Amino acid sequence: MNPEMRDRAPRPKGPIDTGGDGNEESGPRRPKVERPNTDDLMRRMRKVDPNQARRYRQRTGQ
Amino acid sequence: MTERRVCGLETEYGIQVDGVDDLDVVTESMELIRCYSREDFVARWDYGLENPRLDMRGFEVDELLQDKDETEHLQQDRLRKIPLKDLKSDLILHNGARLYNDHTHPEFSTAECLSLADLVAQDRAGERIVLQCARRRTEERGRGSVRLYKNNTDFEGHSYGCHENFLLPRAIPFAEVVSALLPFLVTRQIYAGAGKVGVEVDHKHDQNVFQLAQRSDFFEVIASVDTMTRRPLVNTRDEPHADPARYRRLHIIIGDANMCEWATALKVGALRLVLELLEAGNVPPMELADPVGAVKSISRDVDRHWEIELADRSSTTALDVQAAYLERARAQAAGRDEETDWVLDEWQFALQSLAMDPTQLVGRCDWVTKKWLLDSFADAEGLDWGRAEDRAWLQSQDLEYHNVDPQEGLYLMLEGMQDTSVARLSDEMAITAALTTPPRGTRAWFRGHVLEKFGAQVRSLNWDSIEFDIDGAIRTVDLRSCVDVDTAAIFNTRLDQAATVQDLLAALTSLAIVKETP
Repeated sequence: MNPEMRDRAPRPKGPIDTGGDGNEESGPRRPKVERPNTDDLMRRMRKVDPNQARRYRQRTGQ
Repeated sequence: MTERRVCGLETEYGIQVDGVDDLDVVTESMELIRCYSREDFVARWDYGLENPRLDMRGFEVDELLQDKDETEHLQQDRLRKIPLKDLKSDLILHNGARLYNDHTHPEFSTAECLSLADLVAQDRAGERIVLQCARRRTEERGRGSVRLYKNNTDFEGHSYGCHENFLLPRAIPFAEVVSALLPFLVTRQIYAGAGKVGVEVDHKHDQNVFQLAQRSDFFEVIASVDTMTRRPLVNTRDEPHADPARYRRLHIIIGDANMCEWATALKVGALRLVLELLEAGNVPPMELADPVGAVKSISRDVDRHWEIELADRSSTTALDVQAAYLERARAQAAGRDEETDWVLDEWQFALQSLAMDPTQLVGRCDWVTKKWLLDSFADAEGLDWGRAEDRAWLQSQDLEYHNVDPQEGLYLMLEGMQDTSVARLSDEMAITAALTTPPRGTRAWFRGHVLEKFGAQVRSLNWDSIEFDIDGAIRTVDLRSCVDVDTAAIFNTRLDQAATVQDLLAALTSLAIVKETP
């Protein structure tokens, strides 16, 4: 691991209470979010072909 | 109260077929779109009103620039002997959107929207529609799974867009539009970027970089009419799709395609507020020394300081530039309505989080969410960002973040988790409705319901007109005036009241917007 990349990596530090400052009485709410359990996601990521991006070739669009 | 501004999104999707190395993306994209047409109304798109060479600065270019690579591809396309109409496979859907094959990419253009909630729901409906096409195409092919990616690059120098469109008064000189928007657009990527592993185009640059934005590598000039090569920060194409004497269509091509609904809503919502500042002559006075250089340096700044130089040689940061726009937007628009206050609050939350703790934006901001996922994976697998082979695997994870299949796509899997950190602005009911229902109170509502009610008599369509064939007589309804809420209400009421297409045309003729072609 490149130490610089590690240091700069943003990562959740715990449950995030973003329910607002208490003054929000109307409008779309800022949902409360918590750190997810990513075990399933990590299993899926392990199955991703390491060469998937190398084989992914597109033509220029707009 | 200020009327909400009509806006929309155009998203070009990347396409790949698993296990097929010699994929013909042109044919595959065409066949994919055709998978939709089998179950829906098919009307001919009218290209007669489009002219991508018309420039807002008051002239028309002889030709658009294309790179050598693309010119060779186009020569190959001419040998296919597939008529342009079939190659484009252009469809207008009942939800008012356009689905077609644009430059080898399946493209979903949302209907015109007034609210951010409608825009997000339409954007998500687009993901579902192209996914449905991909699944059908997979069954039809019999070999290889068709995968679609809502991203903007193939990591090898080929980019494709997610464009935003906004209606703007023609009275504002275009030079003012450019100068007012440049600092905002160049710095917006700090919360709107989708994140990218590596650097493209600039092959001498260190590849051990996680960028904020997918598109930032691809911009070379400040303003031009081109969109495929020498891309501009501000596109000058003059196709208003409305009364050209009164309106411009601001065509923003600098943005990334977002997976996070929050990012989609905030990038569009913040820009709409900045356009209000522009109309009020209230934009913060600042000029960047090198906008094209700054869009790249901000995206590639791994220290996340995002420092940029102003034209007076003083320095500032992307955060401060955004804060200056936010401060004026809050002073001008706070308290006006729920949606405006949501944008202002989330914009502030984004800037505070980026300054103090970006992880607050996991599940909201795509680059933060993607970086968090990739770092978690790199830690778990002992990968080294500095090693090219490890980085290639991380780049593949980057790609899969954008896969629109919820069983495979990393973002959609995160969104689907029970204890998800993902902030939603839509729900299943809204997305399902947006698959078939146009946004209320808009021209799109008229377009979609004309198709539903009188589709058999529709000969062709464009964003701003509908051509009917009434027993061989061609009647064209001009929709260029139908861009404000009051006018749209008149059109939609008369459509609701019409029992036949003749009733509708008679009701609209009194508005002098129906033309008869001999």
